Amino acid sequence: MLNDAPHVLIALEQSGLAAAIRQSVWAYPAANVGHIVALTVFAGSVAIMDARLLGAFAAAPPADVVRPARRMAKLGLLLMLITGSALFTAEASHVGTNPVFQAKVALIALGLINAFCARRALGGALDSMPAFEPLPPRIRLSALLSLGIWIFVAACGRLIAYF
Amino acid sequence: MLFRLQLGLLLMAILPAAVFAHHGWGSYDAAKPLTVTGPIETTKYENPHATITVKAADKTWTVTLAPVSRMQSRGATPEFVAVGKTVTAYGYPSTVEKDEMRAERITVDGKTVEMR
Repeated sequence: MLNDAPHVLIALEQSGLAAAIRQSVWAYPAANVGHIVALTVFAGSVAIMDARLLGAFAAAPPADVVRPARRMAKLGLLLMLITGSALFTAEASHVGTNPVFQAKVALIALGLINAFCARRALGGALDSMPAFEPLPPRIRLSALLSLGIWIFVAACGRLIAYF
Repeated sequence: MLFRLQLGLLLMAILPAAVFAHHGWGSYDAAKPLTVTGPIETTKYENPHATITVKAADKTWTVTLAPVSRMQSRGATPEFVAVGKTVTAYGYPSTVEKDEMRAERITVDGKTVEMR
């Protein structure tokens, strides 16, 4: 434990829940595996959604691809939050003060803001958008940003262990 | 065109990750291996890595071991690294944390267990 970490992180790491996660033989590895599996669900769905917004799978109306992909992305994100919280809680003082983790949190915030902006910009128009028609430039830019941001989030996640 | 751009982004993100991945033990100085022997003062049999503190002749070392499941499967049970046992740990000193080392292998009661 890092003694000079913020009190809230130390308290979290010293909590009974954190101790239970560390002392269980399977909880930590299970959260680790679950986090990676959830990542494949999340990143796969986001990539399909972004690819459609960028013009791939043009024969399908955008809404037919974006809506189901968005549902899967939300499920993946929820699983990532649950498993990630377990991993974070077990080592809160170390992970919370890790610069790569802090960059990751900032990038997640950026990715979510970008997603909300894209969703607002699309609005109800998504359902009436036809196949084979390029989407507005603003939406395509947002999709490109999304791909870039989430790839860096994944990279930061793995790199926490190396800094 | 767009797919080429995406591929470029992907490569940009993956390449640095591949480079850094070589440095999993980067914060430990493998050029200065050391052997620490002494009684175990504290044991944390916890994930993601078990740790023990060892009272050596000069100072007390914090020795980072392996994940709990690996320790168990190799016979390094909680009893194996119980407080009071005399342990010999071969490993590398941390370049970040003072008096911390990561064990390559530990020996207790004549039995050696690999940590990697």
